[in-house]
Amino acid sequence: MSELDQLRQEAEQLKNQIRDARKACAEATLSLRLHTTLTQGHLAKIYAMHWGTDSRLLVSASQDGKLIIWDSYTTNKVHSIPLYSFWVMTCEYAPSGNYLACDGLDNICSTYSLKTGEGNVHVSHELAGHTGYLSCFQFLDDNQIVTSSADTTCACGALKRASRQPPFTGHTGDVMSLSLAPNTRLFVSGACDASAKLWDVPKGMCRQTFTGHESDINGICFFPKNNAFATGSDDATCRLFDLRADQELMTYSHDNIICRITSVSFSKSGCLLLTGCLGVTDDGMVVATGSWDSFLKIWN
Amino acid sequence: MSSSKVAIGSDIGQARRTVEQLRMEAGIDRVKVSKAATDLLQFCMEQAKSDPFLVGIPAATNPFKEKKPCVIL
Repeated sequence: MSELDQLRQEAEQLKNQIRDARKACAEATLSLRLHTTLTQGHLAKIYAMHWGTDSRLLVSASQDGKLIIWDSYTTNKVHSIPLYSFWVMTCEYAPSGNYLACDGLDNICSTYSLKTGEGNVHVSHELAGHTGYLSCFQFLDDNQIVTSSADTTCACGALKRASRQPPFTGHTGDVMSLSLAPNTRLFVSGACDASAKLWDVPKGMCRQTFTGHESDINGICFFPKNNAFATGSDDATCRLFDLRADQELMTYSHDNIICRITSVSFSKSGCLLLTGCLGVTDDGMVVATGSWDSFLKIWN
Repeated sequence: MSSSKVAIGSDIGQARRTVEQLRMEAGIDRVKVSKAATDLLQFCMEQAKSDPFLVGIPAATNPFKEKKPCVIL
């Protein structure tokens, strides 16, 4: 038996083992109850949302050209920021909570300083360079941001110097999302070429490529420990990939789910994988979902 | 699992870079799936008891709990 056949056989046995272990954990039925519905603040589709690292504030962006920061405990709007572009694909909080970033169809990543002391929020930096729309970004810190784009590349830029490293090339389709590894300078990207790639930021190179999906990968999320990541795709499945095994460990699909999966997020322990258009807070307490009916909902 | 379709294209420089990348990726050390999956499972088991989605949140410490309206006595 070749090693590949051996690995497949072990993988099958482990799939059953993992399934049984999950069953053993699920002695109670987990149901998500709707906890809070935030007041309707967006007039058009919500395209993106992200939690701040305090697990209390969250930012949402929508096609009505506004970024709104909500206090999820009180459901009050903290900031409402009109944008130059009406088409916003993604928004992101810096880990410090001092900056917000969002994109526009102008392919520029704009950051907004939230702690100006004047009460109004303004654009603090702009990062250009991509030749296609920005699909996703994540702050490494207040000054560095990793971006992914429809121009099939990812890039790491320094906001204060408005400069970028040479782009990360290799994908052959629009890069739709990225996820930073916990505690390291690695990140994974998912693209319309149905592959995910692991990138090394300091070295500026691709370390590994993961295939298996049959269509565009829309959402990607690192496991709470940086050994693995999950992907959500237009092929209506989520998959779990392991970095050290360099392959897919599992495919998650359900007969009732025939639509594209746009976003994935792990719960704090990694036991649960949530899918849709959503985000789980850093402290693992709640998940917020944003949808095309323009409501943001918080679940726990 | 479908095999990777590699786009070599007609540009020789691009083709060399693609092959070089593939060689590098082919040469990495791999851990057996059994070990990889066991490690992930172990992490999940260890963390499960502190995962609010699994163990629940006591109402007293849940900041998202619906607040009861005040009643005027």
